[in-house]
Amino acid sequence: MQNQENQNKKRTRVEVLYDILRVIQEKSGKIKPTHVMYKANLSHNSMAKHLQDLISSNMIKPTENNQKKSYEITSKGRKFLQEYAQVREFEKTFGL
Amino acid sequence: MKLVFTPDWFLGFDVGIELFSFIILSLLLFYTIRTYKLTKNKKALYLGIGFFLVALAELASILTKSILYYDTTITRQVGQMIITYHVVKSVDFLYEAGFFFEKLLTLFGFYIIYRFPLKKVATSDLVLTSLFIVISAFLGQFFYFVFHIITLVLLVLITTNFLKIYDKNKLKNTLILIWGFSLLTLSHIIFAFSKVKSAYVIAEIIQLISYLAFLIVIIMIAKKENAKPRKPK
Repeated sequence: MQNQENQNKKRTRVEVLYDILRVIQEKSGKIKPTHVMYKANLSHNSMAKHLQDLISSNMIKPTENNQKKSYEITSKGRKFLQEYAQVREFEKTFGL
Repeated sequence: MKLVFTPDWFLGFDVGIELFSFIILSLLLFYTIRTYKLTKNKKALYLGIGFFLVALAELASILTKSILYYDTTITRQVGQMIITYHVVKSVDFLYEAGFFFEKLLTLFGFYIIYRFPLKKVATSDLVLTSLFIVISAFLGQFFYFVFHIITLVLLVLITTNFLKIYDKNKLKNTLILIWGFSLLTLSHIIFAFSKVKSAYVIAEIIQLISYLAFLIVIIMIAKKENAKPRKPK
């Protein structure tokens, strides 16, 4: 029931960025854009916008292998993931 | 008017416990700031203000007690000279102001921590509550138990709030938090009997244990790791 509520709730920008980074991290730190789209549950436009945000804040970097584009998480991105995981835990603990 | 109830052998230890409490409150403040910066969650901001005020209260007590204990030593060394008496008398106001601010900030801090999860409060209610808090802190200067009784009521309300949160999230961290606030409440029940010297010491030790519980919560939050990368197939 609560999961359903959480799924229906609109994610904030930071939550979406966290979800994208988490998906990349789970895929050994590197992922194809199409995988980001369905694993982070995003539309194409939304994904492109958020990926651009992450690139400009140096949390991910685009790489190309055999003309196939993918995204790699940076140390800054990993640090953000760590901090945000702690913040979420803090919020849950204090019922924020 | 008796300023502190610390037995001679415990002088300094109580300041140490308050310093520890101050550090823990500062760490909690750090996490609320980090949470607010990332999520813009206003509840985190209010909780942070609450921790900040209680931390300031501990700092006021630490500074006042440190000066008071140092001053007592000087007086003892000099003896009963009238000039020394006057010096001590002239700084009496500072001690009283220091302990008044400790009480005022503690009450305001715990009130904010109690209020933060609730819906928006009317300005008139806020003004009225602030007035009651100032009067309680003032009365606490003459009847020390008044301050401890009001603090323990606020702590009971805070603990009840966290019990409701635990009922929803069933998180171990919240449960430890509840234990911490319950112990802090217990310490204020015992502080209300501070005239008995051993009661004061027991209350201080219980306060230390309660802040140790908060430290465990902080460590558990800090140890929270993000998603681990999957092993390649």
